[in-house]
Amino acid sequence: MIAAIESATLLGVTGQPVTVEVHVGQGLPVFQIVGLPDEACRESRDRVRAAVLSSLLPWPNQRITVNLAPSGVRKGGAGLDLAIAIGVLVAAGHIEQAAVEQLVVVGELGLDGSLRPFPGVAPMIACRPDRIAVVPERCWHEATAVSMGQVRCASSLNVVVNALTGGRWPDPPPSTVLPDEVPPPDLADVRGQLAARFGLEVAAAGGHHVLMVGPPGSGKTMLAQRLVGLLPMLDPATALEATMVHSAAGVTLPSSGVVRLPPFRAPHHSSSMVAIVGGGSHSLRPGEISLAHGGALFLDELGEFAPSVLDAMRQPLEEGVIRVARSNVHATLPARFLLVGATNPCPCGGGAPGSCECDETSRMKYLRRLSGPFMDRFDLRVGVERTAVDDLITIGGGESTGQVRERVTAARAIALERSGVLNAALGPSTLDRWAPLSAAATARLRAELELDRLTGRGLHRIRRVARTIADLQGAGDLVEDEHVVLALQLRVRLRRSARLDAA
Amino acid sequence: MSSTSLPPAAYAASLASFPLMTVHRLLALLRHHPPAEAYEVAMGRVAPRQGSLIERVLREATVRDAWALGSRLRPPDEMWQRCTHLGLEVTVIGDPDHPRLLALDPLPPPVLFTRGDRSLLGGRRAALVGTRNATAVGRTLALRLGEGLAASDVHVVSGLARGIDGHAHTGAIAGASSGSGRPIAVVASGLDVVYPREHRALWAAVAQTGLLLSEWPPGADPLPHRFPLRNRLIAALSEVVVVVESRERGGSLVTASLAAERGIQVMAVPGSATNRAALGVNGLLRDGSAPVLGVEDVLVALSLDHRRAESLFVDQRVRPQGGDLDCYRVCDERASTVGMVAERTGRPLLDVAMSLARLELGGWLAHSDGWFERTGSPLA
Repeated sequence: MIAAIESATLLGVTGQPVTVEVHVGQGLPVFQIVGLPDEACRESRDRVRAAVLSSLLPWPNQRITVNLAPSGVRKGGAGLDLAIAIGVLVAAGHIEQAAVEQLVVVGELGLDGSLRPFPGVAPMIACRPDRIAVVPERCWHEATAVSMGQVRCASSLNVVVNALTGGRWPDPPPSTVLPDEVPPPDLADVRGQLAARFGLEVAAAGGHHVLMVGPPGSGKTMLAQRLVGLLPMLDPATALEATMVHSAAGVTLPSSGVVRLPPFRAPHHSSSMVAIVGGGSHSLRPGEISLAHGGALFLDELGEFAPSVLDAMRQPLEEGVIRVARSNVHATLPARFLLVGATNPCPCGGGAPGSCECDETSRMKYLRRLSGPFMDRFDLRVGVERTAVDDLITIGGGESTGQVRERVTAARAIALERSGVLNAALGPSTLDRWAPLSAAATARLRAELELDRLTGRGLHRIRRVARTIADLQGAGDLVEDEHVVLALQLRVRLRRSARLDAA
Repeated sequence: MSSTSLPPAAYAASLASFPLMTVHRLLALLRHHPPAEAYEVAMGRVAPRQGSLIERVLREATVRDAWALGSRLRPPDEMWQRCTHLGLEVTVIGDPDHPRLLALDPLPPPVLFTRGDRSLLGGRRAALVGTRNATAVGRTLALRLGEGLAASDVHVVSGLARGIDGHAHTGAIAGASSGSGRPIAVVASGLDVVYPREHRALWAAVAQTGLLLSEWPPGADPLPHRFPLRNRLIAALSEVVVVVESRERGGSLVTASLAAERGIQVMAVPGSATNRAALGVNGLLRDGSAPVLGVEDVLVALSLDHRRAESLFVDQRVRPQGGDLDCYRVCDERASTVGMVAERTGRPLLDVAMSLARLELGGWLAHSDGWFERTGSPLA
């Protein structure tokens, strides 16, 4: 007998349809899987046999051949377990082929026949919108969030077989099964740091990548964690993309099954290139930049990251997607995120003028690890300074995340209504149109340029940031002098060579 | 016309115009005789002083003929008419208003014709001299030095020649608008014989703003031997002689050595070793002249360097008011960023940013890498 069960496998963050064909026929009792399975997939042989026997279902003592079609595509992971098990039972005549005609079946089996969650359920389901999905119970929310059609869930192989042989599908689980979404920490916890707080506000409002420069212990990480709270909730399309990525990467999804809060990712500086940008030999797993899609990617101790890793991020920073290609597979993964970098100004940590203990050579060597083109992506370079002890005690917490987010949301709306893009996306050619300067502001920038305190590139950065500051203040179409002044004062210059590297 | 109505200077002017009348001969005449009597001596009507130079030269018939010719060509009354027509002031050695600066020179000018303001000779004076074949760099420098000196109340003495001289005076005329320094020009021809001719406008401008000076009477041509004599007057009129550009031999080096003989400081603007127009100045530097890199160097040589003068140390900054003052106080206490100032003052970031920008512009704070520090003397 032959059976054919529809299932799916994962490539990058998209599901690939796979048909599991099972043949049970004359011959010695052998169980074979063909069609480019990877190691985890080949091992499903033993899991499926054990699960079927544990579920007290009949195992055909015949020659069993499983083919995963199309045979040219590599199949990975344990997500095909359930489809293979059902296929064997159909081929053995225990289940009618007609009962599985409309289904797409995914799930990993335990030896006791239980159905386990596994990475990538959401994209796998999404690639077969025409069929009724059968997923493990703990993947139900994730599957329903992305599925156009019906979704059935089960906790074990027995439940599935029961449903397919005339029984009822069990009720979906209540939404409290999984831990609830934890909101990011609140800005009100930050004492002082007015400039840095405002820097985050500007970054969130304009979509500007931000580099925080400050000594150790000044609160760079604390601030970065609070940035995502200022970002608006993800729009449906981005939320779906983010959900796919998180699902494919096996990151725990929120109880609703959909990633709605902007994600915050903070990979360690020892992370490899593949871990950051994504890849791997077959499945092309999404990296941290894709996991940060719609949210923020925080790179602490920027200078400690391998230069090749940082430079690899330049293209996704530009395009909002990362194209990963290997010899036989390639995938396009979403990667539109707000980059938040943090670095010390020099090896000793710096501080107020005159307090640095480093010699010029070591200071430059420290900053030269960051390539110029990469540094150009940061519109905002905000100085973060240690709050003085008495200020820590006397100054109360500032505004809460909610208060700031209202302004951010309003400013983003202004920018989007005006130019259709966030201010960070304004190029040199469009700046004149969308961010015209008042006469005083023009004079101010001209003076800065003439004093060699500003470069041509720096000029565009300042203009973009000033545009966002004006939006946050609810100013008109014209960028005024005061906005430019604040933009100039917020930036920190990093001397990467003997000549001044103006921000 | 009666000869008694003529001033004594008219006779001296006439004598100065005689052929074969040298500075030494005229000096000998005018030292021993009043001008009218000196004229009679030259005509042979009065006996010269026993054993004097004049007694010797009058024995030569050529001299007697030449002087007689001179008296016919340029009689005192006609010469005087010409001087008054040109508006010249004429003084003779021994006159109380003959410049003492020149009267005490080893070779004083026996007669002096001037146009312009003679009181300028009482001010501070520096000579700016150099080659006629100046490079563009040299000309620009002469212009700048001339302007800078005049602006710093120093009169610029030069020879109104092509090249460096002319540019020094052009600069001085420009600088005269912002300081009390004026151009003083000593020329080697009569004051009505413009040489070089392209400097006609410049001559007029110098006479207008400063002083034109010559020891030759109107109508005298710029003969080659008159230039070194003119150079001695430039040296004698100056407190310091600055050579801007000069070849290995040149009039300006003559001026420099004449100045050195008189104990006047010689300074030189260094140039490239490969620049021919700088060979002379570099030689002067090698021989120990002080280098001039800018107006300040000349001013220091004149003890006119007022950069540290007490009167200049007045705080001209406008005192900050209101919110600006609060921001200043915070940064005065310790260097702060815009965020820190906002925290300390409790004012909005945008206001603080504008305050800090005003304080920086006003010279109260210095901004570096996001930090604001107090600069200059503290606010009282």
